[in-house]
Amino acid sequence: MTEETIIYPARKVITMNPAFPEGQAVAVRGDRVLGVGTVDELAGWGDHTIDDRFADKVILPGFIEAHTHVMAGGVWQFPYVGFFDRRDPDGKLWQGSTSIDEVVDRLIEQESMMGDPSEPLIAWGLDPIYMPGERLVAKHLDRVSTDRPIFVYHASGHLGTVNTAMLERSEITEHNQTPGVVKDPDGQPNGELQEPAAMMLATSAFERLVVAIGSQEAKWGYANEAKNTGQTLITDLGTTRVNDPSQVEAWREVTEDPTYPARVMLAGSSMFGGEQDPDKLAAIVNDLKQEQSPKLRFGIIKIVLDGSIQGFTARVSWPYYFNPPEGHPGNGLWLVPPDQVADIVTAHHKAGLTVHAHCNGDQTAQVFIDAVETALERHPRWDHRHTVQHCQLTTPAQYRQMAALGMNANIFSNHIYYWGDQHRDFTVGPERAARMDACATALREGVKFSIHSDSPITPMGHLHTAWCAVNRLTATGEVLGPDERIDVQDALEAITINAAYQLKLDHDMGSIEAGKLADFAILEDDPLAVEPAALKDIGVWGTVVGGVAHQAGTSN
Amino acid sequence: MALPIKQVRATEVGDLISVTIVGGYLGAGKTTLVNHILANADQRVAVMVNDFGEVNIDADLIRSRDGDTISLANGCICCSMVDGFGAALQTITEAPVRPERLVIEASGVGYPGQIAGYAHTPGLKLDGVVVVVDAETIRANLRSEYIGDVVRQQCVEADLIVLNKVDLVANPDAVEKAVRKVADVSVVQARSAHIPLGVLIGLDRSGLEPSGAPRSAQDRFRTWMQEFPDPVDRLSFLADLGSASDVLRAKGTVRFSEDPNTFFDVHVVGKRVTLTQSDRPWPTPRLVYIGLRTT
Repeated sequence: MTEETIIYPARKVITMNPAFPEGQAVAVRGDRVLGVGTVDELAGWGDHTIDDRFADKVILPGFIEAHTHVMAGGVWQFPYVGFFDRRDPDGKLWQGSTSIDEVVDRLIEQESMMGDPSEPLIAWGLDPIYMPGERLVAKHLDRVSTDRPIFVYHASGHLGTVNTAMLERSEITEHNQTPGVVKDPDGQPNGELQEPAAMMLATSAFERLVVAIGSQEAKWGYANEAKNTGQTLITDLGTTRVNDPSQVEAWREVTEDPTYPARVMLAGSSMFGGEQDPDKLAAIVNDLKQEQSPKLRFGIIKIVLDGSIQGFTARVSWPYYFNPPEGHPGNGLWLVPPDQVADIVTAHHKAGLTVHAHCNGDQTAQVFIDAVETALERHPRWDHRHTVQHCQLTTPAQYRQMAALGMNANIFSNHIYYWGDQHRDFTVGPERAARMDACATALREGVKFSIHSDSPITPMGHLHTAWCAVNRLTATGEVLGPDERIDVQDALEAITINAAYQLKLDHDMGSIEAGKLADFAILEDDPLAVEPAALKDIGVWGTVVGGVAHQAGTSN
Repeated sequence: MALPIKQVRATEVGDLISVTIVGGYLGAGKTTLVNHILANADQRVAVMVNDFGEVNIDADLIRSRDGDTISLANGCICCSMVDGFGAALQTITEAPVRPERLVIEASGVGYPGQIAGYAHTPGLKLDGVVVVVDAETIRANLRSEYIGDVVRQQCVEADLIVLNKVDLVANPDAVEKAVRKVADVSVVQARSAHIPLGVLIGLDRSGLEPSGAPRSAQDRFRTWMQEFPDPVDRLSFLADLGSASDVLRAKGTVRFSEDPNTFFDVHVVGKRVTLTQSDRPWPTPRLVYIGLRTT
């Protein structure tokens, strides 16, 4: 059976194929690209239909996001109270709440729409780091309701703030000795609950969060956010337990729906109840790889080695943290004993998988890079593409070692915008902040790299991550580390072909070429022609995934 | 990002489960210690481990296995934290027969003091923090750029340090001295983590009776009792306890002269002294001690 050929004329097709960088149209047959060129050239393939819907658009390869989490879709089941404007998966723009009063007003509005008064009001995205001065506490939330329990989940995922009704329902009193239950000078809990031991005291809110994150709606919201911002493949890096057949089945169910607007790659991980034995985990992932489907992919392993820089829990090298909070122990947290990393990496490396290691700090990156070197000594293997994820403080020497070992980087460029000011002033100081998220160094030293949002930590959207890497502007508008800025072309490679390479999908995705999957980002303007400062403002019409168009901001 | 953990439900009214945290870096002997506890417990002990991988329970001892939980013939249970800390804690606090003691194994790079925070969950009370240290590697580990600060902090958070594998070093006392320089806490030397359970997780169920004469001449530990028929001065009582370098643990009841009608339960692990108002006054207030036999 010959499938129908559709030719899409466009304002421009940017292919990211250096041998054929642009065209005026793209021809699609079934779920694959037949060719790029002029309409006349493409008509040579025989019978076809001309579809003009993208005639005034710019077509790029679908963006590939190699570091996100499915809870990005789950948190939107609750109102957003973050500082920055943010668009939900339905395309609705939520204004940022830039003061305590605005947070309270947003919650009053949400509360008024709720029925059953015993149902807790949960909100998310609060980041007190942007609200200097008074901190949000229970007494502010009591202005929203003195009856309905309220739980505000912070952007960091490490804190929650509750109102008095929630303190009472959860029996959190002056007598509670759990560390992290913050108390005012009179000894009364003030509503702030730090870290899970304290947060889990607010049972009713926590149970709802867990359910929301695991729901099918979360999977749809996750893909819709991808569609709205041009991603055609997103990577759930370690949130799903791939050793749990029911969780994998739930993913099959959504991704087999023809209207599901994204491809998803699920990483194997031992976090959150995943398989602990690396050999067994590798075997599970290799089995799943045999059964992967067009929109559900496997083949990578995620390991998490340290914490975050803005939380002062990443492992950094001397001179350590610049201006840490009082009582800080001096360095961050290891999540895996450094002496164990080489064995874990070796197990997956031997099994033919690619290891993606969360390393925010440079000390952590060094442990992982050395572990890859050990794995290679034990078991020589070409083309492994093991990747340093986040890669925020990785030094030039480390990039050189990574290049020599054939490693990749996935750089957290969004940090420059969202926390760059804090990194300069508090976490690592001006010099190291200027060389954080060093895309130019990676380029210079020959390490293939991608960039990412870590959604929901920052909003998904590759035009924004590319804008960050190109402009390096902080939220207050300062250029942080001008020498680490990269060209738009390099940033576009990072979010397309290089991200595909990192996931070993570059034979099939990441550029628009004859034979590859018909996965496109459909843009309203040409990223190579607009001012680099305007990159993030280019409109996104939507995506095409395997030849199927998905328009942004619609529910298909 | 961190996933929320499910809340552990408050347990029914009853005796609080006494929680001991076992910390220490990779390879120090935490699992050996856990195996030792499970094999020798004379109370219902529940153990939470990071995974079953290295826990070596004699097959004859296993009564049943259900997912993340292994039940032993001696009444103990061993629960894996693979499904999360909260889930494991819930399994234990809701077990058909409530354990008397809970031992939580911290991760090799975890800070046991943080985990101790969970022992304030309803239904639980904190016993203390025991940190296992490898006598062979501790000095190199303390110097390590990667883990020196972690190992140091683990020691600082300990109430009691088990200096393990002393049979593998030439001069255990020198190693002990190095450890004491890091943390001013009680240190007990051990081989294969073999320490009486009374020292590790508390005096046994028989409670306030000393266990009598040492079992053998090699027994490095002794138990003794002190009666306090009259109320004592609170500050000097606490000062005495704090300066008693041979005391590893103590437990009992006292009255203080400032409030002679109120009885206080005293719980001592290393340098940690906890006083709580007693709900069952004893005819004769007294303390039972376990300590190192001074030579």
